[in-house]
Amino acid sequence: MPEIVLDGLVKKYSGGIRASDGLSLTVHDGEYLCLLGPTGAGKTTALRMICGLTKPDAGRVLFDGEDVTTKPTGARRATMLSQGYALFPNMDVYHNVVFAPTIRHWKEEDTKQLARSMIDMVHMGKKVRSYPHELSGGQQQRTALARALASDSKVLLLDEPLRALDARLRIELRKELKSMVKEMGLTSVHVTHDQEEAMELADRIAIIRSGKIIQVGTPQEIFQDPATPFVANFLGRSNIFAGKLVSTDGTASVIELANGIRVRARPCDLEPGDDAVIAVKVGFTVPELIGAAPDVQDAHLPDTLPEGYFHGKVERVLYEGSTITIETTVPGLGLVSSQRSSRRYEYYRPGSEVMITWQPEKASVFRLPAGGLVQEMRLD
Amino acid sequence: MSLFVRINAISDSAKVRKAWFGLVCAIFICIIIVPSVFVVTKVFTDWGLISGVLGDSAEMAVIGRAVWNSFSIAFIVTILDVVAGLPIAWILVRKNFRGKRFLDTLLDMPLAFPTAVLGLSVVMFWGAPEGVTIPGLGICFSPYLMLVLLHIIFTYPYMVRSLSGILEQIEPNYETAAMTLGASRFTAVRTITLPLFRAGLVTGTTLCFARSLSETGGTYIALTLMGCESSFFTGPTYIMDNSGGALSGPMILISVIMILLALALLVLVKAVITHLHVSGNRVWPELGRKLSRGFAPKAKDALALFFMVLFVLVPSFYLFVYLSEPTAMDYGTLLGSIGTSFLVAGVAVLFDIVFGIPLAMYIARHRGERFAGILDNLVNIPLIIPTTALGLSLALFWGGTASTGAVAVVLVILGHISFTYPLVVRNITGAVEEVDPAYEETALTLGAKPLETFSKVLFPVIKSSVIAGAILAFTRSLGETGATVAISSSVNTVPVYIVNLVKEGAASYPAAAMCSIVLIAICFVLMFAVRAVMHRGSDRDA
Repeated sequence: MPEIVLDGLVKKYSGGIRASDGLSLTVHDGEYLCLLGPTGAGKTTALRMICGLTKPDAGRVLFDGEDVTTKPTGARRATMLSQGYALFPNMDVYHNVVFAPTIRHWKEEDTKQLARSMIDMVHMGKKVRSYPHELSGGQQQRTALARALASDSKVLLLDEPLRALDARLRIELRKELKSMVKEMGLTSVHVTHDQEEAMELADRIAIIRSGKIIQVGTPQEIFQDPATPFVANFLGRSNIFAGKLVSTDGTASVIELANGIRVRARPCDLEPGDDAVIAVKVGFTVPELIGAAPDVQDAHLPDTLPEGYFHGKVERVLYEGSTITIETTVPGLGLVSSQRSSRRYEYYRPGSEVMITWQPEKASVFRLPAGGLVQEMRLD
Repeated sequence: MSLFVRINAISDSAKVRKAWFGLVCAIFICIIIVPSVFVVTKVFTDWGLISGVLGDSAEMAVIGRAVWNSFSIAFIVTILDVVAGLPIAWILVRKNFRGKRFLDTLLDMPLAFPTAVLGLSVVMFWGAPEGVTIPGLGICFSPYLMLVLLHIIFTYPYMVRSLSGILEQIEPNYETAAMTLGASRFTAVRTITLPLFRAGLVTGTTLCFARSLSETGGTYIALTLMGCESSFFTGPTYIMDNSGGALSGPMILISVIMILLALALLVLVKAVITHLHVSGNRVWPELGRKLSRGFAPKAKDALALFFMVLFVLVPSFYLFVYLSEPTAMDYGTLLGSIGTSFLVAGVAVLFDIVFGIPLAMYIARHRGERFAGILDNLVNIPLIIPTTALGLSLALFWGGTASTGAVAVVLVILGHISFTYPLVVRNITGAVEEVDPAYEETALTLGAKPLETFSKVLFPVIKSSVIAGAILAFTRSLGETGATVAISSSVNTVPVYIVNLVKEGAASYPAAAMCSIVLIAICFVLMFAVRAVMHRGSDRDA
């Protein structure tokens, strides 16, 4: 199974849109990589350049060191599993699955055997003679997967393959999808804008934005140590504050926010006086209830959780099942969100007085982006 | 290695694909477009002939009147088609009732009738209400009015088809939304759905106008039956009346006038309908409510149906009364001309499909790109040019109107290719646009080469549209008189044979009618056979 290297890909569309703008990425042999980014970031274009459906204006695509940039799509052995599945409407499940073996003129017994094992693997044995329009969304998805797996391709490209499914089914099929792909040992690139899906499926995640890869790493690395404020907010929501660095040493940095309050965060390599941005995941932002009974407070972690940084009033409490989100108005800063276990739902009411705090090592510090913070945080 | 495997293997090369597409474009330009408008160059090379005509004020008056007749008839007919066709298109798409399929099929029938046959049938019906005695007993229509009645029949189906095609794509959701917001049905339709109709109107208007402008055979027969073929002219009958002899100034002049006016009109219609802003802001809720309930909508539907039956269907089928008086006829000549007709139509349609599909695919898959847009507009040109002018142009391009034998047949085929090619390309373009490119792309990523991708994935999906386009083109070719006569006087297709019979005088009318009936019968058998084959195919696909 090949290692895929994208080297400085550029693709411009009419109207000056740069779908790829010097895109470089390495996908390891046998790896399941999720390409995660907002709508219009150039995810699908990247995928299409890997399989040759789109020709890059500049840059190279390498499979195992071989330059395949000009190789025809059919010869690359990189199969696309697209959003709508694209099951051929004039063929039944069986003929869809054996499409690739048939055009490659494999021996008939081999073809039959392969088809049977693939169809069994995706649990479509009872629907072999059904046509695509007679199948449910999940069945179509599984058939498309079987067709892709039966094609003897070494690379599987998945373009939002779960998008058209119900929320529940999507979650169920995620696990199946990954285990089957892993079993075949394919190198896979999965495009999605759903961060939860990416976190669950990916060996590594590549964050793409405006045609460039911003960060590549395991889900945990990217979640805990985002490279930019945008990534911090895109993969798990974050509270973002702008300020100036006061000091930094081996244990923590001190940043003074716009309203004069000083907060603590991770050590960083900025100089004191530099404009800084800090990002704290909503799950790590703790609203400490003022005057509550000691067992309700989080102060039983005095070693890790500092005294509250700022005082605020709860605006609303949203119940989300296993979690709740508490939105607190902080004078001079606006709304601050925190996510907590829903066990605590009954303690928080609109109007409750809270102190917001977090562990310094959970707060990331970034240099203020050149284009300004608003531009940086845009999702489109 | 079989041929397919070889071609398939080389289809992987981008250069080969480019070369093939280049060839298709070259054929399109050199065989279809340039010959179609070649006659215009005669204005510069043979100015002498034309300036002679320009000086002849009597001849100029005849030409002017002929052109005026052609365009004004086309205009009136198109307007009537829109008014009477819209309710029927509506009924066919939005309503469900018993016999809807039957109505649907009936509507297409006039398209399968050669227009020469229609000319005969219509004059018999309107000219002599009590039946078979022709010509001219009973109510007396002026030739002009008769031609309007005739042209309605073969343009009406085009209009209804274009409008219902668009209507199918407009979701009733918009109307429902407007109605839940408080609009009456009449107001909802008028302010929401009708403005979305523009694309259908452009297509329908273009087709109807072009069809009416081009029509020769039926018009000529109608005029002959009324005894005024040498005193009342439309553009095409004028050319026809003058054809067969040496190249003459009046012919060239009227062809050029017709071509240029038609092209100008095509541009104008497109511009007016797409840019015209009809203010939808003013509403009359009371009027809307009154028109939406009770008697008014029913009256509108009934009137539209009445119009369709009386002015389109009954006159077309009136010819069959001749079956009550069988007559002796020259079956040898008839069969010979049927053979010629089928040869011409078959070869032309085959050519259309082979060289039309690549062009249609290019246009459909490169929407919004400049070159595709240019091709898309060029394709319409042979459609809008009156076929008689087109035939003359072609004959001039390929070397003289006096050719005979096999050469003449080849020239006639080339002519028929010109005006049927757009029909096939338009149909296939529409079908390819409906197909998600993801099918072909996925096939490519599964390892298929471009030719296999087409033959195994795209073609099976668009097959029914290809066949529909082919039938349309085939029947259109079968019914064409003007172009055939303008290209060569020696190629005897069925419509030409029928026109010649009618020219012989009243004694040959029954024979002409019988020929028409035989031709119609063959057409129907053919269409039903194709439908049956298609149906079997779609059962399997479904």
